[in-house]
Amino acid sequence: MNLLKRLGLAASLTLATTAGVATVIDHAHAQDKKLKVYLSLSYSGNSWQSEAANIVKALAQTPPYDKTVELKEVISGTDPQAQISAYESMIQDGADGIISFPISSTALNRTIHRGCQKGVLFFMYDATVTEPCAYNVSYITAGFGENSAQALVNILGGKGNIFLSRGVPGNSVDKRHTDGAMHIFKQYPGIKVVAEYYSYWDDRTTQQETAKALAAHPDVDGIWAQAGEYGAIQAQLDKGNKLVPMTGENSDGFRLGLADPKMQGMGLKGVSAGSPPATSGYAFKLMMEILTKKRELKPMNVEYPLPWVPADQVKPCKGDTFADGCNVFPSDKVPSSFVTEVFNPELLPELSLQSALEGKPTPGASIQPLPADVKHAPDAPGINCSSCKAPADEYKLTKIEPTVKP
Amino acid sequence: MPFEASSDRRGRQKLDRETVNTLLVFGLSIVLIVCSRFISPALGSWSQVLTVLILASFLVIMSFGQGLVILIGGLDLSIPALITLGGVLTTTWIGTADTGVWYMLPAILVICALVGAVSGIGIVWLKVPPFIMTMATSIVVASVALGYTSGTPRGGSPSALLWLMKSWFLGVPVVIYFTLAFILLGWLLQNFTALGRRLRALGTNRNAALIAGVSVNRLELVPYAISAACAGFVGMMLVGYSNGATLRMGDSYMLPSIAAVVIGGSSILGGSGTFIGTVGGAILLTTLGTMISAIGLSEGWRTIIEGAIIVGALLVLRGEFLTHIGNRMLTRGK
Repeated sequence: MNLLKRLGLAASLTLATTAGVATVIDHAHAQDKKLKVYLSLSYSGNSWQSEAANIVKALAQTPPYDKTVELKEVISGTDPQAQISAYESMIQDGADGIISFPISSTALNRTIHRGCQKGVLFFMYDATVTEPCAYNVSYITAGFGENSAQALVNILGGKGNIFLSRGVPGNSVDKRHTDGAMHIFKQYPGIKVVAEYYSYWDDRTTQQETAKALAAHPDVDGIWAQAGEYGAIQAQLDKGNKLVPMTGENSDGFRLGLADPKMQGMGLKGVSAGSPPATSGYAFKLMMEILTKKRELKPMNVEYPLPWVPADQVKPCKGDTFADGCNVFPSDKVPSSFVTEVFNPELLPELSLQSALEGKPTPGASIQPLPADVKHAPDAPGINCSSCKAPADEYKLTKIEPTVKP
Repeated sequence: MPFEASSDRRGRQKLDRETVNTLLVFGLSIVLIVCSRFISPALGSWSQVLTVLILASFLVIMSFGQGLVILIGGLDLSIPALITLGGVLTTTWIGTADTGVWYMLPAILVICALVGAVSGIGIVWLKVPPFIMTMATSIVVASVALGYTSGTPRGGSPSALLWLMKSWFLGVPVVIYFTLAFILLGWLLQNFTALGRRLRALGTNRNAALIAGVSVNRLELVPYAISAACAGFVGMMLVGYSNGATLRMGDSYMLPSIAAVVIGGSSILGGSGTFIGTVGGAILLTTLGTMISAIGLSEGWRTIIEGAIIVGALLVLRGEFLTHIGNRMLTRGK
């Protein structure tokens, strides 16, 4: 090969690499008057993250925001340093607002503080930061752990061997959920946690970890799972035709399973609750109302309602939105790992399935104003505030009553 | 037989180091499974053995490719991205509708192999170190998959893959027969074909191989292409296993694929190692993972124990003294 050819190949490879470095930037038509908003993700690659990002992208293209907002998306990677430098560049670039899924609840604080001083609005969705000048919008404080744990205890009649399928080790969200759940489980001496494993909020990891746990404890009576729960069902089906009651998050596969008479016949019962990707849309609309001076709101922690769908309330959707109280899509429309909670008829009527799947605006939709009231989230030390105390009724049940006595 | 009767035992008394290592890895796996009964009475059962073998099948197939790359002194860091590529293309191009499954599955494997060959070209002709080249490929492929799916891979598993991963034959999952056949073919390829011998020659001494008439440059592409195709196939298996693809489905296999090869007795610098040893390494790692997850300790302690056992196993397996002991016992026995 001659030198020229070599150089050419080298150049094209370098180009391909540069283009591929995990930074995807969406350019709206740049105009001078447009508000400059950044969407900062720590990573992408699971359905939840991309749905949440797609919702924001769809809303930013829905009239009138399509003419007034320039949204740029930056995916920085799974370490806090990468997100810190991404924030720094956005602040340098004169961002009006940054909407973000933060990778750490504390590591980004200094940069956020600097940005606030320069007049940048920071909105965090789902995951939170403890920096007081940022807005946190999250369901975390709404009690997923304790409510789902109580639901499982009720189904099991207060006794049995259970697995805990957890999230990412060391993550504050996983800790909050598990602490809430253990607060309930510890009240029932008949409930025994025989295996506890980290499933990284991923279906496939959950399936493999559950398969391992089943090898050691085939006599399990119930599973308390965080996101990835559909993998736990698959692991049980791999073993035979027996399913145990379980609680999990909002995957389409899990909800369809809860309502499927065949799986119910094998023993599946439970509740679907947990983290809704729609939170990002609510956070974005709140931020835009503040940026366009339609709302005055000091930095605060906002609580997003916890989705709560017991088996008998699962209702398949006929169309592409959550109409008539439906809450799950048929399996030919979305993959089983799709997180169903992408809509909210009251807060986010602008969205359709295409918004969540492809980031496209719903034809004919325009941005509707949010309700005036915003729900204040309780303090959660290390999660949404640093020097604060959790309320005494931190783990109060809100969705379900105990039906068995401890 | 006259050969048996020969009194010349020089060649036979020496136990080959690789054989000893392989036997030890398998032995250690069996000991672990038997010991695991102490952790939970349900462990050590036939059902657990099957669970381990199914979970190990992914690692076995992936490590075959990684093993060939390591054999020639390289390293393939693009495995997670190619697993994802194989999985995503399978669910989006074929999906539950089984669109052209019989030619699409091979076509996807060819695409993966071509991506691997591109890494190889960068390594051989542009002299980019394997570490960097495969990492760059990995980033590009992962980003293409992200852009192509806008984050949510659609579709489910073709029925052929569901059959491979979920059906049983004579009380044993089909995938275990498949993996056994793969192991046999891989072993034959590496040990009894000209290609296998040339690869080993290339890994041992590139210049010597060149002088011996091996076309080293073209040959060096082969392991990267095979490794990429193996990773793509594991992506397909994972699609059948969990009935769908995710963009991070390959992430947890990067280091285990290298670890299985090294524990199996290969030198990380290339030139030595057998596929059977690697298979043992994959089974040992998976057994360990299954056992550790049954211990009721916190995650921190479990990973500490797992790490310690891996290092301990490697030290024991590497020890030349075991070969000596083996040889001595053989001599005494005669």
